[in-house]
Amino acid sequence: MAQAGRRYSHARAFPDAFMALCHHIFRSFGTPMRIETGRRSVTALSTAAVALVLGISEAWAAAGQPSPWETGMQEMVTELGQSVSNFHTYLVWLITAICLFVLALILVIIARFNEKKNPVPNKTTHNTLLEVAWTIIPVLILVAIAIPSFRLLREQLVPPQADLVVKATGYSWYWGYEYPADQGGFKFDSNMIAEVKDLKPDQPRLLGADNAMVVPVGKVVRVQVTSADVMHAFALPSFALKIDAIPGRLNETWFKAEREGVYYGQCSELCGNGHPYMPIEIRVVSEQQYAAWLAEAKQRYASTDGSAPVKFATAQ
Amino acid sequence: MAHAADAAHADHHDHLPSFWRRWFYSTNHKDIGTLYLIFGFTAGIIGGLLSIGMRLELQDPGLQYFSNPQAYNVFVTGHGLIMVFFMVMPTLIGGFGNWFIPIMIGAPDMAFPRMNNISFWLTVSAFGLMLLSLFVEGAPGSLGFGGGWTVYPPLSTVGHPGPALDFGILALHLAGAASILGAINFITTILNMRAPGMTLHKMPLFAWSMLVTAFLLLLSLPVLAGAITMLLTDRNFGTTFFDPSGGGDPVLYQHLFWFFGHPEVYIMILPAFGIVSHIISTFSKKPIFGYLGMAYAMVAIGVVGFVVWAHHMYTVGLSLQTQAYFVFATMVIAVPTGVKIFSWIATMWGGSIRFTAAMQWAIGFVFLFTVGGVTGVVLANAPVDRYMHDTYYVVAHFHYVLSLGAVFVIFAGMYYWFPKITGYVMPEWIGKLHFWVAFIGSNVLFFPMHFLGLSGMPRRYADYPDAFAGWNLVSSIGAYVFFAGLFIFMFGVVYAFVRKEKAAANPWGEGATTLEWTLSSPPPFHQFETLPRVVDTGH
Amino acid sequence: MAATSDHQRKMNRTAIACVGIVVGMVGLAYASVPLYDLFCKVTGFGGTPIAVDSNSSQVMDRTISVRFDSNVAPGLNWRFSPEKPEVRVKLGETTTVLYKVTNTGDKPSTGIATYNVQPDLAGTYFSKLECFCFTEQTLQPGETLESAVVFYVDPRLAQDRDVKDLSSITLSYTYFPSKGGKPVAEVTSSTTPISQ
Repeated sequence: MAQAGRRYSHARAFPDAFMALCHHIFRSFGTPMRIETGRRSVTALSTAAVALVLGISEAWAAAGQPSPWETGMQEMVTELGQSVSNFHTYLVWLITAICLFVLALILVIIARFNEKKNPVPNKTTHNTLLEVAWTIIPVLILVAIAIPSFRLLREQLVPPQADLVVKATGYSWYWGYEYPADQGGFKFDSNMIAEVKDLKPDQPRLLGADNAMVVPVGKVVRVQVTSADVMHAFALPSFALKIDAIPGRLNETWFKAEREGVYYGQCSELCGNGHPYMPIEIRVVSEQQYAAWLAEAKQRYASTDGSAPVKFATAQ
Repeated sequence: MAHAADAAHADHHDHLPSFWRRWFYSTNHKDIGTLYLIFGFTAGIIGGLLSIGMRLELQDPGLQYFSNPQAYNVFVTGHGLIMVFFMVMPTLIGGFGNWFIPIMIGAPDMAFPRMNNISFWLTVSAFGLMLLSLFVEGAPGSLGFGGGWTVYPPLSTVGHPGPALDFGILALHLAGAASILGAINFITTILNMRAPGMTLHKMPLFAWSMLVTAFLLLLSLPVLAGAITMLLTDRNFGTTFFDPSGGGDPVLYQHLFWFFGHPEVYIMILPAFGIVSHIISTFSKKPIFGYLGMAYAMVAIGVVGFVVWAHHMYTVGLSLQTQAYFVFATMVIAVPTGVKIFSWIATMWGGSIRFTAAMQWAIGFVFLFTVGGVTGVVLANAPVDRYMHDTYYVVAHFHYVLSLGAVFVIFAGMYYWFPKITGYVMPEWIGKLHFWVAFIGSNVLFFPMHFLGLSGMPRRYADYPDAFAGWNLVSSIGAYVFFAGLFIFMFGVVYAFVRKEKAAANPWGEGATTLEWTLSSPPPFHQFETLPRVVDTGH
Repeated sequence: MAATSDHQRKMNRTAIACVGIVVGMVGLAYASVPLYDLFCKVTGFGGTPIAVDSNSSQVMDRTISVRFDSNVAPGLNWRFSPEKPEVRVKLGETTTVLYKVTNTGDKPSTGIATYNVQPDLAGTYFSKLECFCFTEQTLQPGETLESAVVFYVDPRLAQDRDVKDLSSITLSYTYFPSKGGKPVAEVTSSTTPISQ
């Protein structure tokens, strides 16, 4: 995990500096009517332009969390997530082509069929061939989308045999994790780290949690999700994972992380005041580290038989 | 169609009622239409200010303007509900629909003028209740309802025990009742009051779009009314429709809501389709291409719109087959939508186009709606939607189809019909300047949201991890530019009224073939006392 | 004049038909509540186990593990857990599993249980002969109750191409405090008040 820590801290130096700058500049917006505001936002924008160039190269550095000026999906660390990402890339090419095609047609129209160039309009209102074509071709494109889509859907929803079951319960506003009796038999709460000074070096603000969910690398983990009060959603972008936590109903999903590291997600169903403050932190570790963590966790978190956890998130 | 002009001239000496009677007891479709337009614009400003509040907060990470995220959530919810129920619907359906449906089909007024008046004042009262709900307790210790426009339980039941949502639900009841009455009025008018010779297949596309929209309202709003009434009784009278502790199921609410909610997005966009068709045809000086295909594409969108609702619910834990079905059904909608886009392009192709302000807005709409449409195809795919669901990608998508779709058409319609409604000419440069400011502003505002969503930023977040800061800053700047554009429009309206340059009956020339252009600008208080006879509409 | 009143009658007919549609749709919205419930129970949609009277299926050699999950909603001071977290059963074999529930509070309280099966698709094949659900249960302070779930996994599961390779099914129960018909606005909110 030390190695993982180094990797992320490198990526973080830049956004921190940039944000400090942005923050400094835009604080002034809060105070009424300053003359310099206009000039300052120009400065911010040019900073933004430079950052865009730098950001793209930085974007590759961090898996498991968003990077500044990112324009695509987060780096995937599961095979299934990679398939989702590839499928999305395929879709982006398709839809970009369609948009450019429509744009090209509009530009041709603007250039050729304006009042000056074409004073006498034609009166064509039908062209059966054309009309059939623009019905059939979209259908074919949709078929070309649907086939890989259904295949991928199947892979997501027909779960393989699980090596490990972890239950995540959404509370207002934190997550509780439970390793069932045959997997360790303990449960603990995972609260967001509210104070920036308490964050570990590899934990970004609003994403770092005091107790992470820990799983071994390369194992199929089944995540069972439910809620104790209102609806929440358990999401982890770099696993392409998202499932609603609904009271009175157990939902499940699964993942198999291919690489060790720390991966972050956030609650993804509006749940009230603390909605932005209940991150999901999953630490994927080697099997030895997992065994060690399990032994320690069993001690630390007592047993599942304890009464329901009574602990409330402290929103900022 | 020349007959209509005669009918118009015969009407010039009619008596106008007093101010109070004219605007408060109004039963005249044009006056009610005007009231709706003013109302919709006012609501739009309020909804827009809420979104400016949101963008100010999101400009930087951390909380700056709101004391807690709940207050931000209240803004999000208010923005959504106001824009949907009190801006887009009243403007497109109540405003333009009331103004031009009777005229376009050659009718003297709506079928039930008094009911029309009731609809309007119900909408106003609903808006009053909605605003009131912002100032009563919702979640414990905070004002207003902050559970999103979708009002999902249990957040809307146990999460908000205060009365704010009860006000909200009653507001939706009133707005829903108003829309249902309006829908009945439109259906009755369109089916029974068309001028002699105007068959359904000769009817202008805007009338077609309103007919389909009215049926969608009739079929979907009662389901919303039922669902929120169940919510109301769950909250106040101890029923357990959506409460798992009494055997209810919160997921059922989502099914019911989206059974309404998905047709609702077509309710907002279909009238826009109708208006754009007329604008494009007028300024290309060509009849609309593939008229019947256009009309039935709208019918198809309306019908299929009712069987795709659960694509909003891919993450609730639906089974494989269910998700596969909704992926399939949702993608089907892309076909009639494509027919419409390509038919608009074919209408312009070979035309002799005048790029007026209205036309620029309409062309902008065609392109931006395409962008919003294709991201909809991406989202239709459950495996990818699982990543995008409840992220800013979804926000980007539905703002491209609604804000850059429906709202662009509202302005296109405003600039197109302004001379007809007011009788004054607004200089073209005003509308064009507004278009470019809005076009740039809205794209700067919404395009980066795709990136934020792909990067994983969840929606309805008052505060976000620092990595999202860059695109949020860009997006906020776009919002201010877009909003500033509104002042250009307001200036234009005032300027036109001050300048008082009289508009001709038909300022747009030979391309403008629908009946409203045969009447004076503004049309007489009562039109078509002798019904016009439609010989050929040129399709 | 006759033509006008005829026209008026036609318009009224259209309007009344529209009102009919509205009333019908409101009715449908309400009907959806029992219909959805029925639909789930019959088809196993949404992971609803199928209730059956007797097990007439053949026992097969193929085994599957069935996991048991338990939850207690806030507001109920109960300890609730299955006897064991997982059992392995043969397809078609009738099995009984006990859940143990104890009132750890100092007041008598009443709870009511709901349940579902995961994965969703397995709901159709999870047949329950006997279970505790949707019946109110009152426990005195310190009282412990054992409730039985009697079930079998329908062997037809092995023929369904979507679930035939399934290695495990989870049955989840949640105990909610019974609100006794009181509206939520009067019941203590589960969310913490917002500090300004």
